[in-house]
Amino acid sequence: MSTPLPAAPAATAVHAAAAAAAAAAALAASAGSAGRRPAWPAWLREPLLHFVLLGGVLFGIDHFVLGRADDPRTIVLGAEVDREARQVFKAARAREPSAGELKALRQVWLDNEVLYREGLALRVDQGDTAIRERVIFKSLSIVEANLRRPAVDDSLLRAWFEQQRARYDEPARFDFQEAALAGEASEATVRAFADALNAGTPGDAKAGLRVFKGRPQANLVQSYGAAFAAALAAAPTGQWQALATRDGWRAMRLDAVSAARPARFEALRGVLLQDWTDATMAGLRTAAVRTLAQKYRVKTGPTADASAEVAAK
Amino acid sequence: MTSPFKQRPIALAVVAVLGSATLATAPTPVSAGKVAGKYVAGDFHNHTTCSDGSISMQKLVKKATDTSDTPWGLDWFVQAGHGGSGSRNCTLVEDASLSTPAYPFVAGQGPTTPWTNSIGAANLKGLNGGVGGNGSMWRWQSLQEFQYPVMEYLATLKNLPMYLGLESVVAGHEHTSMAVITGQMPAALDNAVLPGSAGYTALGNATGLAQWSYCFDRGDTDTSRGNVTGSNAGNNWHCSVAGSLNAGDPSWSARAQKLMPAGGAGSGDRGHLKTVEAVKWLAENHANASYYLPAHAERAGPFNSDGNNGFNVEHLRTFNNVGPKVAFGFETQPGHGASANRGEYHPNRNNFGGVQVDSAGGTTYGGTGVYGAQVGGVWDALLGEGRNFWFFANSDWHNRGSFGPDDRRSTQDFYPGEYQRNYTLVRNGADKLRPQSIVDGLRTGNNFSASGQLIDRLAFVACASYPGPGARSNAAVEALALAAATHNTDIDVAGCATMGEKLVLRPGADVVVAIVVRDPSGANYSPYTFDNPSLKQVGISQPLNKPVLDHIDLVRGLVTGYKTPGAADYAGEWPRNLNWLRADGSTATLAAVPAAAKNTSAAVLKTFNAAGWTAAGNDLLKMSVRIPAVTASQYLRLRGSNLPASVPFETDAGGNPLADIYTNAGSASLLRIPCTAVPSSVIPPGTFTGTTDGCPAHLAVVAGQKYVSFDVAAWADLWFYSNPVFVQVSGSAVVAGVR
Repeated sequence: MSTPLPAAPAATAVHAAAAAAAAAAALAASAGSAGRRPAWPAWLREPLLHFVLLGGVLFGIDHFVLGRADDPRTIVLGAEVDREARQVFKAARAREPSAGELKALRQVWLDNEVLYREGLALRVDQGDTAIRERVIFKSLSIVEANLRRPAVDDSLLRAWFEQQRARYDEPARFDFQEAALAGEASEATVRAFADALNAGTPGDAKAGLRVFKGRPQANLVQSYGAAFAAALAAAPTGQWQALATRDGWRAMRLDAVSAARPARFEALRGVLLQDWTDATMAGLRTAAVRTLAQKYRVKTGPTADASAEVAAK
Repeated sequence: MTSPFKQRPIALAVVAVLGSATLATAPTPVSAGKVAGKYVAGDFHNHTTCSDGSISMQKLVKKATDTSDTPWGLDWFVQAGHGGSGSRNCTLVEDASLSTPAYPFVAGQGPTTPWTNSIGAANLKGLNGGVGGNGSMWRWQSLQEFQYPVMEYLATLKNLPMYLGLESVVAGHEHTSMAVITGQMPAALDNAVLPGSAGYTALGNATGLAQWSYCFDRGDTDTSRGNVTGSNAGNNWHCSVAGSLNAGDPSWSARAQKLMPAGGAGSGDRGHLKTVEAVKWLAENHANASYYLPAHAERAGPFNSDGNNGFNVEHLRTFNNVGPKVAFGFETQPGHGASANRGEYHPNRNNFGGVQVDSAGGTTYGGTGVYGAQVGGVWDALLGEGRNFWFFANSDWHNRGSFGPDDRRSTQDFYPGEYQRNYTLVRNGADKLRPQSIVDGLRTGNNFSASGQLIDRLAFVACASYPGPGARSNAAVEALALAAATHNTDIDVAGCATMGEKLVLRPGADVVVAIVVRDPSGANYSPYTFDNPSLKQVGISQPLNKPVLDHIDLVRGLVTGYKTPGAADYAGEWPRNLNWLRADGSTATLAAVPAAAKNTSAAVLKTFNAAGWTAAGNDLLKMSVRIPAVTASQYLRLRGSNLPASVPFETDAGGNPLADIYTNAGSASLLRIPCTAVPSSVIPPGTFTGTTDGCPAHLAVVAGQKYVSFDVAAWADLWFYSNPVFVQVSGSAVVAGVR
């Protein structure tokens, strides 16, 4: 945070001091107009007196400012605390607290507030990622509160849907099985096993049978690699095959494929509206944060790798 | 999970009778002579405000053991906060609902009230104690004089098996869950009459635990010998170990009568040597009444000679060598399951002299550290020696993160029993559960750990089968396992073994392995009723609070005997940083791991799923496999999950858990699993009630999209791990760590 809370009273004090100095200067100037007004006594023109007066004014302003409720050394146990205490107690115990219990809750709140303030004074919040994230979250909530969703109609929504179609189209899905082998196996071992399986050996004869239903094509790519996904898609159904995957050979059998189906706008309109809203609001949020960022000067430091390099040296 | 969650005791009894009838028709098995016991659920690592937790002793005990407010009700509970010192009085309750006659609610005071404002500064002991001291109480005093009496009182009042432990701040390393139960919960409590008004004088004591804390915890820099500040009155402890250098050690402090290694270069090495003495001291003084189990073993990265960081495999070996009955395992499935970085494991977590170092393995893997989760990794390396080194899981409860302690949501921790549980076979016979029988149970390794109530019963049995009259059918062994699971106990049959035991047989015998688990019906303790987003990726609709066991893997590794200290394959660091977990979340293979830290013979021998197991009624599933003509000593262990193989960003094609970096909010750029269910209800804060049918607001959001993270990530990704059954073949390697 680049603008800590104490900055405000300090600024106020500076402004007040400037005003007091101006007033003193005006006083001195007016005192110099001897021809039109009676002369002020000499002691009134003493610099020491001006110094004392100015000091007094500054002290008074300082006392006034720091004496207010936001004085970090003043804790107000007000109605807000009582309300929160009652609420928490009632939620836990399903009744209002007694006077004694409320007093105790106030004391607990006070203890916690003291610890909180002591912690802030010791700057224990600095470098704490949990606190940083909480503050970011609250700050983002304030940003969000000032955002308004733009109007939307079906043509806009439909255009957005067409851009995002890949998210909504039903992908091709595959039913398949793996007859697992214990540990890693060579291509020859897996081919021989696949042959045995096709000749009637049960699928769980070795390390067990894994049955996969309705796995989307993207899942195959991610878990086994693109080459495997293509090979499985091209494989005949009902026949064990030795197929190469990203991390070795596996005995697999394709059981069924359900073809990809394009999504229908009408069927998804409600979902699309929600998704469009989420995406649009996310864009607005990002834009709002970037706008806020413009008031900061960003300096790029050394990269982590470079730091490690420096440390290593 | 299609019907309401019930235990159905009558139906279970019927199954039990049927199981007995089946057995009655078979040849009567010879008993192995075990004392009777049951699997009971517990947790031994969690915190109160006496260390860095957020609630009182009383509130934590209530949350962990209650069966109404929080329904999980652990069977046994160990409160174990950090060693060192603390400034807050965790024996003061939050409100009148936690009042007991001996420890009533005191208006204006609570568990965050400093000791100085409750017992008064004059009553603080040791260095810096007393008026004018720093206001903190050494843990030894806190354990001995304040926490133990509360624990004893609550254990007696609630008739619950509980005791005090410690999460030690370890010299030369990070943390360890340990306990000394000597003196705690004496039998005299059985007939004790508790006071009806404020004040309680304990019948037992935690002096052994307190002394260990003074002597060996890195955070304890007190030099008072456990005495009143500036006086010789008090415990006058000394910390010498028979046969060790003690006063001849350069780190010895004559004033403190303990090792106080200097900081700076070499501090990790010096600290480790102190910790070896700590384990020796336990073995010497409390051989059957203590344990020493490194906590979140991978979190602090590898070992650092110049600091206090992680554990390498050689340190685990050394602890087990010097105290085999004390250092018999580790917590490789950490708590903090709902944290932004699951288990608080993450890349660049640790600073080694200005250089950032990842947690070992980078992150957890399905909530378990890489040492335990990687097939063929550190745990398998230790089991491959034939060591008694067991897997444990704990909550590491501190707080609820963004939420208050009475909220079902969490961005940090789960309560003890809420998410992870150790199910330990405790042989108490006709007696009630007591600290000694619980510690004995932990030591045997007859224990399995499960998250998210994925399973709550397990019988894992291996029996020898010889050709001819000594033959056993798979069905016969399944029947033994079914009877055991039905009664929530283990088997007691000669020629068979279960977790933590070894089966000794002649070469050429078959080993018949039978497994029976209970996948309980109905909802677990998750407050989320929407479909599991991880499974949704592969077209499976399954409510997040009603998980279904997808498969069980039987992992086998060969036993080749103990490594020799000093030999090249005794010591070796897990590949650090990008040498293991790459920037895209993928990992290296065991080829990158030094020989000392791996067992390449370990592999999934068999995977069971709905295609391979049989429903046995009452949510029990049974399965078996025959390992033919065994000629080499080996071990067998189980793991299971609600996630099938090849679930993007959760499991690989072999069914292994992937790095949790894809669901860690702390690595937002790698979040990959969208959470899209729109909630129609929210969980009311501060009541520990309610459910929600949509992705909660506290999930990590990237570009407007909520992603699986925090507690939702934990509830989506459930695992159980069994401890191993060893098989020792005559003429092959000896399984020396197990009787």
